[in-house]
Amino acid sequence: MKFNVSRDALLKPLQLVAGVVEKRQTLPVLANVLIQLQGQELSLTGTDLEVEIVGRLPVDGVEMEGEVTVPARKLLDICRSLPDGAELKFERDGERLVLRSGRSRFLLSTLPAADFPNQDETSAQTRFAISQREIRRLIEATSFAMAQQDVRYYLNGLLLECRPQQLRAVATDGHRLALCDRDAPGLNVDAPIQAIVPRKGVLELGRLLEDTDAQAEVVLGSNHIRVVSGQFTFTSKLVDGKFPDYERVLPRAAGNEIYADRQALRQAFSRAAILSNEKYRGVRLQVSEGLLQIVANNPEQEEAEEQLVVDYVGEPLEIGFNVSYLLDVTAAIHSEKIRIGLADANSSALIQQPEEGDSLYVVMPMRL
Amino acid sequence: MRKIIHCDCDCFYASVEMRDDPNLRGRPLAVGGASDRRGVISTCNYEARSYGVRSAMPTAQAKKLCPELIVVPGNMNKYREVSRQIRDIFLRYSETIEPLSLDEAYLDVSHSDHCQGSATLMAEAIRRQVREELGITISAGVAPNKFLAKVASDWRKPDGLTVITPDAVDQFVLRLPVAKIHGVGRVTAEKMRRRGIHTCADLRTISLIELTQDYGKFGRRLYELCRGIDERPVNGDGSRKSLSIEHTFSEDLKSLEEWLEQLTGLYMRLLQRMEKLGDRYTISGATVKVKYNDFSIMTQERASHTCRISEFRQLLCQCWHRRPAPIRLLGMGVKLKDLRAEMGPEQLPLPLPEPNAFPA
Repeated sequence: MKFNVSRDALLKPLQLVAGVVEKRQTLPVLANVLIQLQGQELSLTGTDLEVEIVGRLPVDGVEMEGEVTVPARKLLDICRSLPDGAELKFERDGERLVLRSGRSRFLLSTLPAADFPNQDETSAQTRFAISQREIRRLIEATSFAMAQQDVRYYLNGLLLECRPQQLRAVATDGHRLALCDRDAPGLNVDAPIQAIVPRKGVLELGRLLEDTDAQAEVVLGSNHIRVVSGQFTFTSKLVDGKFPDYERVLPRAAGNEIYADRQALRQAFSRAAILSNEKYRGVRLQVSEGLLQIVANNPEQEEAEEQLVVDYVGEPLEIGFNVSYLLDVTAAIHSEKIRIGLADANSSALIQQPEEGDSLYVVMPMRL
Repeated sequence: MRKIIHCDCDCFYASVEMRDDPNLRGRPLAVGGASDRRGVISTCNYEARSYGVRSAMPTAQAKKLCPELIVVPGNMNKYREVSRQIRDIFLRYSETIEPLSLDEAYLDVSHSDHCQGSATLMAEAIRRQVREELGITISAGVAPNKFLAKVASDWRKPDGLTVITPDAVDQFVLRLPVAKIHGVGRVTAEKMRRRGIHTCADLRTISLIELTQDYGKFGRRLYELCRGIDERPVNGDGSRKSLSIEHTFSEDLKSLEEWLEQLTGLYMRLLQRMEKLGDRYTISGATVKVKYNDFSIMTQERASHTCRISEFRQLLCQCWHRRPAPIRLLGMGVKLKDLRAEMGPEQLPLPLPEPNAFPA
């Protein structure tokens, strides 16, 4: 194997691929990135056996095709520390891969490409094309609400629900829930199909996707999901489990509604958060006609009070929340105004864009 | 301004014994272990104290000071029962009671309506009821905080009541010898004396910075106490900070092997006591204590979440390495963290149905 490539062309796909490589692995080859050269295309593959990412880039100066694996982290660190615009020359030399650039030379250890694990091919149940931007939006709008190492393992991921001409994402950690719907004209299903993508896969996929109209193909198998674009192929195992019936926790009646300026509200929350209890992050919301008051206290007896003029008609209401949850939601929604539906101090809040939003958020209160 | 009462029975065990056996009254009496079994005095009455007998003194030594001293063995069950009766009397005046031992407690009566809200009258009533109903005497101190209430209850012992009203705090504290401050022991008091610090008034001339440099964390507390400031609340929920047990042996334990051998039995007893605590606490530290045959005490402690016996063994070995000498007493304990106090606000869960569960 022998080829030339510019540092800048290699760096980005290498970064994305190296992202899935775990710091500690069960197999030595899992610390490596698989480099394959075929025709004018170089592909880089990283895997942790659950998530696999293949990045592709065109190269010129191909003198000999071939494939080999080298330590992912070290290769990435070398490429990163070489100067912008550097030209890299790769050449296989027996058990080593030689990397030359200017007056630098590196000999990297290799493991045979044949040792590198292959993601099993699974039969596709559903296959559709959708723009990268749409999937990206789904992940951005919901992934923050995924659970992390919850014993309810099926919450440690993102539910993707294929609906007729629509793709839906749902995430919940048991305290709050995020739901987002995006149009997917290419999606033809009769009944909804559900798949839970594991947390790590979701975060990696979010980094791969670009904010473009460029299409990606989504292939959903019985235990794998694959997303393919011109530059990459992302494959992840699915969480083997059933997602809870999330529709049951969506509040039916909106209750009393608060309309507020989203930015002003977000800034008020983030200021109040400074003096909330660092561990529990509780803030008190006091709503009265036309006014929202946010109060935070901490064990040092410090207090933050924020007042915000809002649209609210109804009985005065006091309710506590984890301010981090409110900050997440006010960041995920992009509209100028925000709508908060509240019933009472023990019932969930429904937060969304006042109209024509693609997403909705349910947050359970905190008893302060 | 808070109203705190500190109640402290006068020579509690001895008082109970004298109440139940009038023959013992008026004579020097002590409750404790027999001298031929290397016992120590746990409590003695005021007659015995006039001979110089003190608690924690070996019974043999006490007998030397006061040959006619009567030593009776203690009856913990009886004392516990009397203690419970005293607590019932306290409860007539406040729910916020922090017991320090069987015979000593703080009461926060700030929000009590009894006696037109007068803490002094409540303290008098408690003292009268304990005397009339239980036949023993109890001293009390009334003050705006725990520190002063405790000093006050000791002021006119036995059978006394001392009240420090808020406007008398300064006057009282300024004359208070530093040795009366809880936490200022013999060594610290001597160190202060050499610097010319005898009273809280002297202590007040030293800046907070200097006190912190000289006494560490305790310096800050000294700074407040010598000004009569003590914000500690009366901890009325029965929360414990530690649990420990100890045993005095009839013969000295001379070698490390003997120390370690006895540690095992003690450890089993500690585990039994800890079981009774339930899941309210988590362990935050382990301690061991040894008392050498010259009555000097050494303690060692370390952070621990598990309190395995190996940790106590290690601590005990540290004691041995510091001073390998015969010991008469071995003790061990755990430091506790109250989970109930740690409990924060409750985040309510989303009513998510269990997946795969059958619909109700």
